Amino acid sequence: MNFLIRAAAIAALLHITPVVVLVKRPDAVQALLPGADAYLAREVHLSGTDAHRLHEAVDWSPEDGVLVFYRGTAGSTSVGALEFVRVDTPHGPIEVAVGFTPQGAVRGVVVTKATVEMKPWVLEAVAAGLTDRYRGLKPGGEAPGGAAGIASRAGNLAVYVAGEVDKGVARALAAYGAFYNHVRT
Amino acid sequence: MLYDLRRADVRVKWLVTSLLATFGLSYLFGAAMVALYAGFTPQSVAATYAGPEMSMVMPPETTMVVQRPMSMGDFAQAEVHTVDTKLLIQDTHVHVPMYGLIAAALGVVVVGLSLPRRWSLGLIALLFAAPWLDFAGMWLTKLVSPRFAIVTLAGGWAMGVAYLIVAGLAIHQMWLSRERAEP
Repeated sequence: MNFLIRAAAIAALLHITPVVVLVKRPDAVQALLPGADAYLAREVHLSGTDAHRLHEAVDWSPEDGVLVFYRGTAGSTSVGALEFVRVDTPHGPIEVAVGFTPQGAVRGVVVTKATVEMKPWVLEAVAAGLTDRYRGLKPGGEAPGGAAGIASRAGNLAVYVAGEVDKGVARALAAYGAFYNHVRT
Repeated sequence: MLYDLRRADVRVKWLVTSLLATFGLSYLFGAAMVALYAGFTPQSVAATYAGPEMSMVMPPETTMVVQRPMSMGDFAQAEVHTVDTKLLIQDTHVHVPMYGLIAAALGVVVVGLSLPRRWSLGLIALLFAAPWLDFAGMWLTKLVSPRFAIVTLAGGWAMGVAYLIVAGLAIHQMWLSRERAEP
């Protein structure tokens, strides 16, 4: 009986809860590409070599080997670009939207999805100023340090999830730096 | 018969009733969760589990770019909840032991029911076969063909039906049957 109770407790603890939308994609697009009135999806289909290079850099391969950047324009002026990056964690996936200015710096970061379990951790991390920590980062520059930045102001689980958001931002930076402007159509 | 729920102590009857009520509640919310994330049609289950992995994507020789215009409406399109192989491994690892414990608990209730031996054996087999079918369907949908989504649906419905049979018989025999011992 003791075994059964322990097994049930372990199963309950390990249970991965469903993914919930924290911020709808259109809202994230409007926040990260302000003023844009037209959008272009730029799908970069990576060769085996480039996919390997990206994997070596940030320990990540995009789904089906395709990076998708969304470019926003207002009239003929570029507003910037954004990516949605998924990070798989032992508690289930999170999705991070990373927006870039036309100059290639991070304009903002929005956590768009998380599991039911991680939602309160994400909200706590964001309330502690997590997403402000990424503003201005550029590919090849300083590594995202959101977790370290909020460590003194948030609980352990919020700091943990901030580390996962850091990974998402690092992936977006690496992908943007290597493949957004450097591959011809 | 190992024990008889009709003549069991009222404390045992109360325990079994509470257990069945708790399972019933979790099954109700389980059904709601299925409705939210996978749906009840073979098409929606196939879309959840088969995913793009059904077609093997070969990387191009050199990296290439495809561009297409997007409208805000495209961003707003409902996204299908998908379960990839990694997540299905985790789900199987976590859910199957839990389903086994639930089937075992309901099986213990079946043992206490006044039923022909064959019926009891059949019911216990159904309790364990249902989750097997459920997960076999998910894996077959992912690895073999989306047509196997029907197996997952059959497994899910079998779990619900098996629970309803056990709960109905147990409540009837413990609290309503004429042959029950008065508490």
